[in-house]
Amino acid sequence: MTRILFSDKLDNCVAKWRSAGMTVIGPVQGESLSSYAAVEKAGDLSFGMVLPDRSLKELFFPQTEPMLRYTIKKNEIETADFTPPAAPRIIFGARPCDASGLAIDDPLFGWDYKDEYWFQRRNESVIVTIACTKADDFCMCTSLKQAPDCTKGSDVLLRPLDNNRGWVVEELTDRGREAFTLISEHIKESDETALPTVEVPEKFNLDTCVAWLQNPDNFDSKFWKEISMRCIGCASCTYLCPTCHCFDIQDEGDTYSGIRRKNWDSCSFALFTMHTSGHNPRATQSARWRQRIMHKFNYFPGKFSVNSCSGCGRCSRQCPVDMGITETLQEISKL
Amino acid sequence: MITQEKYRTTVKELLANGTIKMAIGYRPGSTPDRRRPLFIRTSEEADQLVLDSTCITNLSGYLVTEGLLSDEKQVGIFLRPEGIRSINILAAEYQLNVDQIVIFGFDSTGREVRPLQGRNAGDFSALLTEIKENPPLTSKEPLLERVEKMNAKERFDFWQEEFSRCIKCYACRQACPMCYCRRCIVDSNQPQWINTSSHTLGNFEWNVVRAFHLSGRCVQCGNCDRACPVNIPLRLINQRMAKEVVDGFDHFAGLSPTQEPVLASFKKDDTETFIL
Repeated sequence: MTRILFSDKLDNCVAKWRSAGMTVIGPVQGESLSSYAAVEKAGDLSFGMVLPDRSLKELFFPQTEPMLRYTIKKNEIETADFTPPAAPRIIFGARPCDASGLAIDDPLFGWDYKDEYWFQRRNESVIVTIACTKADDFCMCTSLKQAPDCTKGSDVLLRPLDNNRGWVVEELTDRGREAFTLISEHIKESDETALPTVEVPEKFNLDTCVAWLQNPDNFDSKFWKEISMRCIGCASCTYLCPTCHCFDIQDEGDTYSGIRRKNWDSCSFALFTMHTSGHNPRATQSARWRQRIMHKFNYFPGKFSVNSCSGCGRCSRQCPVDMGITETLQEISKL
Repeated sequence: MITQEKYRTTVKELLANGTIKMAIGYRPGSTPDRRRPLFIRTSEEADQLVLDSTCITNLSGYLVTEGLLSDEKQVGIFLRPEGIRSINILAAEYQLNVDQIVIFGFDSTGREVRPLQGRNAGDFSALLTEIKENPPLTSKEPLLERVEKMNAKERFDFWQEEFSRCIKCYACRQACPMCYCRRCIVDSNQPQWINTSSHTLGNFEWNVVRAFHLSGRCVQCGNCDRACPVNIPLRLINQRMAKEVVDGFDHFAGLSPTQEPVLASFKKDDTETFIL
């Protein structure tokens, strides 16, 4: 026997969660872009896409976020903190690669300094993931040893039934069980089985790539210049990435008052490592692309025992010059 | 296919006899409808060259990055007419020497690709004048017409909505052949001229500054528009500003390598008392 949530009951569930004070968020197809956004009814959600254009990351780590307001007076400096408002929410219809992206970043945000902005939002969010029954040419979760029904970072995993009729429910955490207790009246016992997950072909051998990256002789390999010659140095790959997490802290205002903000930053930019002296240790685009790959598959796993890539493929999908992690690791596999 | 084969042969010849050190073109991408930039230095690399109607990216920006032309050797490049205009502007703004650039011109109608006659930037002036007189249909874009009909408030709201998606990845800047500044104004932090945050004000500041900076310089190649990962119709802004400059100054950007930049020059007999 399986437990099923039928699609025609989803609107009732959305209403139930909302009346319990939760914001309901899910994949929404906008006029020109898809993203995870707050909805008022189930009909506003869109489950047909492979994955939204924008990742789930920004709901936990927004592109720009105020941290504190400062006012400098004659004898004192007044500050007022901004912290995210307490806002319980349920994200219904996350993709497994987006949910696991959050789990990948958890150790980073909690390593030496516990990032309260990140963890407050993490603790208040229930992540309901839907296993993938379709993929496109850029999906590469299996190459990262993940899967279209990966449960990492999820509180509930749903497996679609045929004809969009609903989902088989697998609760994974207490937080997930609690959220689904609220809608238990809409969950039916049944002997139906879910659709199989999509077959995502493996595009490169991760172990071969990691071994090559870990070899210090390859740091200065000619490969880096060749593979990144066409990189134009924008941040589209890093900003759409569900795991890229670099930020900059900026004061906006004047000498006497202003707001300190936390803004996304990217290793693709020359300015990212520019020293005050004018010297730049990553002076060329190839050094910057090498850093991105090394960080994801060598330095990050060296520190946190997990690769900083969940295989969503957005970097390749959106790249203006058709580059991306997939091509780079495929080429490394061939070396 | 014939055009592609002919150009492969030409590139091989020019590489072999040492005329050019490299040719910048296109090769197959990760899906059948994608093309990626190709840097041809050998005969084998020339065999990867693809030239068809899906070769759209304006590649001219690669000429002015990371010192490609600093050895004064010649470089070949595949360009559509708007790419040739970019070369002319870069030359007029002293960013490159046109004598170093060997142009492999092409254009397409439907799926048909045809070569353009000429090798040097100056060879294309008749073609470019013809384009100035009869601009391609893209300038009659329905969305632009819709925006034109809006009143100021509606137009402001429209752009506010569009810019709300901006994440300041600067893909528009990086993809643009005209954005060659070694230090962009948004990267200047002493003083911080432009807010780095991608909130409403910061996004407006960035996109409006870029629009002004490209006035009289944009050739509407569409690189910015295609590069934008959040699908802001950036072409509309630059298209509108280009029209403004043509109407006000009869300046069609990139007609020749010696064309005076419209907003970076002045005349003593200018009728205006104020210069921006």
